[in-house]
Amino acid sequence: MTTTQWIGARAPRREDPALIRGRGRYVADINLPGTLHMAILRSPYGHARINSIDASEARAADGVHMVITPDDIPDHVTEFPVIWRLPGQKDSGTPALAQGKVRYVGEPVAAVVAESRYLAEDALDGIDVDYEPLDAVTDCEAALEEGATVINEDWGDNVAIHHVFAGYNALGVCGYEPEVFDNADEIVRGRLTIGRHSGIPLETRGIVADWDEIHGRLTVHSESQVASLFRTELAASLGLPETAVRVLTPNMGGGFGNKWDRYPEDLLVSIASMELGKPVKWIGDRREGLMATVHGRAQVQEWEMALQSDGTILGLRGKVINDLGAHLHSVGIGPAWVTGAAAPNQYKITNYYCDVIAAATNKTPSSTFRGFGGPEGIFGAERMMDKAAKHLGMDPAELRRMNMIQPDEFPWFNAAGAVYDSGNFPACLDKALEAADYDRLRAEQAELREQGICRGIGIASYIHVSGFGPSPILGYLSYYTGGYEGSTVKVDPNGKATVYTGMIPMGQGTETTLAQVAAHHLGIDMDDVRVVWGDTDQTPYTGFGSAGSRSNVAAVAVIRAIDEIKAKAVRIGAGMLEADAEDLEYADGMVSVKGAEEMRSVSLAQVAQQAYWAHALPEGDQPFLEATYVYDPPNFTTASGCHLVVLDVDINTGKITFRNYVVVDDCGPVINPLLVEGQIHGGVAQALGGALLEEFVYDEDGQLLTTSFMDYLLPSFTDVPEMEIHHVVTPSPHTDGGFKGMGEAGTFPPGAAVANAVSDALSHLGVEADELPITPSRLWGLIQEATG
Amino acid sequence: MGQVAITLNVNGRNQTTLAEPREILADVLRDRLGLTGTHLGCEHGVCGACTVLLDGEMVRSCLLFAVQAQGSEVTTIEGLEQDGELHPMQKAFSEYHGLQCGFCTPGMILAGVDLLKRNPDPTADEVRDDMGGNICRCTGYQKIVESVLGAAREMNEVTS
Amino acid sequence: MKPAAFEYHAPESVDDAAGLLSSHEDAKVLAGGQSLVPMMSFRLARPARIVDINGIADLDYIRYEGGALQIGATARQTAVEDSSEVAAQAPLLVAATGHVGHRAIRNRGTLAGSVAHNDPASEYPAVLMALGASVTAVSSAGSRVLSVEDLVSGHFLSTALGPDELITEVSVPAQSGGHGFAEFARRHGDFAVAGAAAVVTMNGTGVASASITAFGGTSPARLDEAEAALVGSDGGSEAVAEAAASATAQFPSTDDIHGSADYRRALIDVLTRQALQQAIAQAQEV
Repeated sequence: MTTTQWIGARAPRREDPALIRGRGRYVADINLPGTLHMAILRSPYGHARINSIDASEARAADGVHMVITPDDIPDHVTEFPVIWRLPGQKDSGTPALAQGKVRYVGEPVAAVVAESRYLAEDALDGIDVDYEPLDAVTDCEAALEEGATVINEDWGDNVAIHHVFAGYNALGVCGYEPEVFDNADEIVRGRLTIGRHSGIPLETRGIVADWDEIHGRLTVHSESQVASLFRTELAASLGLPETAVRVLTPNMGGGFGNKWDRYPEDLLVSIASMELGKPVKWIGDRREGLMATVHGRAQVQEWEMALQSDGTILGLRGKVINDLGAHLHSVGIGPAWVTGAAAPNQYKITNYYCDVIAAATNKTPSSTFRGFGGPEGIFGAERMMDKAAKHLGMDPAELRRMNMIQPDEFPWFNAAGAVYDSGNFPACLDKALEAADYDRLRAEQAELREQGICRGIGIASYIHVSGFGPSPILGYLSYYTGGYEGSTVKVDPNGKATVYTGMIPMGQGTETTLAQVAAHHLGIDMDDVRVVWGDTDQTPYTGFGSAGSRSNVAAVAVIRAIDEIKAKAVRIGAGMLEADAEDLEYADGMVSVKGAEEMRSVSLAQVAQQAYWAHALPEGDQPFLEATYVYDPPNFTTASGCHLVVLDVDINTGKITFRNYVVVDDCGPVINPLLVEGQIHGGVAQALGGALLEEFVYDEDGQLLTTSFMDYLLPSFTDVPEMEIHHVVTPSPHTDGGFKGMGEAGTFPPGAAVANAVSDALSHLGVEADELPITPSRLWGLIQEATG
Repeated sequence: MGQVAITLNVNGRNQTTLAEPREILADVLRDRLGLTGTHLGCEHGVCGACTVLLDGEMVRSCLLFAVQAQGSEVTTIEGLEQDGELHPMQKAFSEYHGLQCGFCTPGMILAGVDLLKRNPDPTADEVRDDMGGNICRCTGYQKIVESVLGAAREMNEVTS
Repeated sequence: MKPAAFEYHAPESVDDAAGLLSSHEDAKVLAGGQSLVPMMSFRLARPARIVDINGIADLDYIRYEGGALQIGATARQTAVEDSSEVAAQAPLLVAATGHVGHRAIRNRGTLAGSVAHNDPASEYPAVLMALGASVTAVSSAGSRVLSVEDLVSGHFLSTALGPDELITEVSVPAQSGGHGFAEFARRHGDFAVAGAAAVVTMNGTGVASASITAFGGTSPARLDEAEAALVGSDGGSEAVAEAAASATAQFPSTDDIHGSADYRRALIDVLTRQALQQAIAQAQEV
């Protein structure tokens, strides 16, 4: 391609050539000379006191170099902090090893460092732990009851926080009017449950730490999605100056938010490497991936919607109980907070109230997972819309349309404090209906039902407040990090560019996307742009790092840095062309005299050469052609859209068969359609997993029953329908390029869309699918209950 | 436990290494022979990331002790490129965006290659049925199906 | 998730293999390894010795002789799947094989190993039972033939084999009549939540013989009450429903994370019906 119009191009990914050859380098592939391997002894109990640990046999075992028990952790090492600390939230943190008692199955109790992973696992048998089992709390509602066993004694109870959304919008206006719920024509109630599941990247977590005693430097090969923040926290917890820690990020085999958090193993390998003076490697196995990587989503919600009899929504209020797990992890109750903020969704709901309660349970901590509470909020909102439509005898599409925020009503200040910047919600809905041929579907549905075929149509609209971030807002929310992204762009003396980003690619094509943006704005070929990532010694600090919906923020940082470079190029070009800078423009990689582009122009390479020779720089300009810009977005961007699913339910077996899946997505202008489609497909598939297949199941003792891929079921080829994707484009008014975050949105509506479709398919039986995942066994049970 | 000498023909070359009998083939390929393109996603035979061809047929390299492959031919993702020319399946995965993080990709590509050997012109449904033993967490599969169908077209054109 | 250490033996004859099994405690036969190896990686199994029978010449065969298919202990499941002999003589076996894991698993997994492992969710024990198959078990004391029904009935992840015995051959009588196979799995290729297999012969008036088995969650079972309900009937939908109801009553459904006992009963009813309908339709064509 000779074009310089890179934005919008289906550019092939520059990540691919290595990955399709098996030449990617993931953390498990890093083998430094002399590496020792760690295996971790994990709690077999959901809740137990640790009376004693005797590791003497393990210490003497073949090939063992070190055993770490709580007594072996240096006193100065501290827990990883919770970085989102809402007022009233209990103190918590992530320790390297369980302290005095274990609170979930899989919690690290001790670690062995040996010459191979095989030997390290052998030696785990030589650690004798005397456990005293305690009553386990596995139900998040029971955890809140008077007299429930308290998991974290210093909390006094199991309530990590009770946060109230009292109906205030960002302007400080409160719309909550409780009396409306007493007097409304119609009240619709729902109780919804979302099962515990998680991102489950196919690559488990892993880390290699390499302590250089001579220079006092710890080099960590990590898959943290937020390398800068990870470096800050790791240094602080280890008592090292931050400059002593370098974080290198290799290829990442998926993150999905799970790798955003800090984990005990990060401390354990570092402690071991510093003690032994050798590289120490820990690669989590799948069992560890399932029991000791953060879980997500688990919530019980209760909602009450007030409506006029014509369908106008008068208010929404409810309660969200988050099944938190044993303690607050890196982001605290962040996802549950987002659920409360997202539940008003696309509708003109100003009368809103929501209690968000996080309850400790003897389960793996629940934390960051793609969508971050948003899918849970959309599940609540969109199930309630369908329940309301059914209650009123209205078409669910019509009820949505009449309550939607209209395109001329932005910015919209939702009643939970979020500001929606843009969108065209009715257009997304209408496009979905048209693509699926909704009227025909409804007519067919009636005919099929007569033939005994239960076909359901499920609609779910969504907003995704993405690009987490103006830093002051994060400050206001007590989220102790910044929301900016920085980028350095350097043009070398030959006119080729290098972009340095703090973003960590997890597979979503960040490198390609940023190269596209840079090539487009510099007006040069994509092959002439290199992107440097994954080395905290070289790349700009990022407080937030990689999330599926951060490319839009990082892209603006690149654009703004390039703007500075272009301005300097014009200044230098003015001297070269003997013209006034005002008469020049930068386009397609050339600085030219306006109106005389053919005759009087110099290339970026020529300008760059001058910038490096520095023989005749404009006054005040330094040599080089580079700039750094740290972009702190003025607001979140609001992506939105609508999914429509068509499926059949076999009432004899509870089996669900997809017939159609339509996605309408508005993520603003699309940088690379190929990658956007891929993100949507993957997001939908992941959410369908949580809707139909995936669930961490605990027994009443807190034993985790799903510790393999035979029990924790990921969607495979035949579980994910072919999707049809359409776009509506409303640019964000306040970001350069108008881009919105899009990597997470695919996960938002599928749970609700599927539950709505299943309930629609079985509406003649009165079945309401209000618990995810809708497993065949569970659905069959509902059908039995309904048909008696 | 003692190590034994294991000789494998890996990607066309005989290689001998010492390993304990308990070492699974994937570990020996990765850690003793340096072929890290074979990935371990579950180590219990469900995800398919460690798929290799053993004497021409796809197997899970996590469900086989390396010692069992004594004297066998093993093809890993690194061996698919011939004389600097990518296999059409590799090209198709890039062209149709059949990969994101790339972790499942080596196994996925080899499973696609194996499928086309048995069924050179599959339908989309046949691809989905046959490759169901390989898990991808990123793509939602649609573009993998397109990749395999694209590779099939390409290969059929070359041979016809 | 790395296996514990073991002593590895690769005998070259059945006698040597049997000798190793009888002279060592805690020895385990390794054939396809598709169940054993993951159990070892989870360290749920830690045999002190592995007796790898893959190097024994002449165990990798599928032959049809004397009215029965003889399938050697190391014959892979894909060999069964692709065999024209099996398709001709025991098509039920081919129909079920497509449901056993995925191709990459079947390329290593063996029919005999699957029966010896007797996972409650696995297809082969129930299907072989329906076909009236038997196995040859060898130990250093000699060999014996026992029916698959005797081998697996009442067992859960174990069989009637002694610790010193190994299966050298599965013998499957030529299938007479039509067959049906139906299973319900959470995902394509997964172990089944429940399944049913049937072989039915018809005469001029109706069902002359029936062999019906079911599996899932617990030990696979031969459902003789369902067979009795069906034999002598006209094979129509009422008779099939009655047989399925008997099957449901007889099969000891249990709970697990993939389904409640009630749900399994409902599945057994649906699946038995499907399997019988297929079998009867096929038997009528013959």
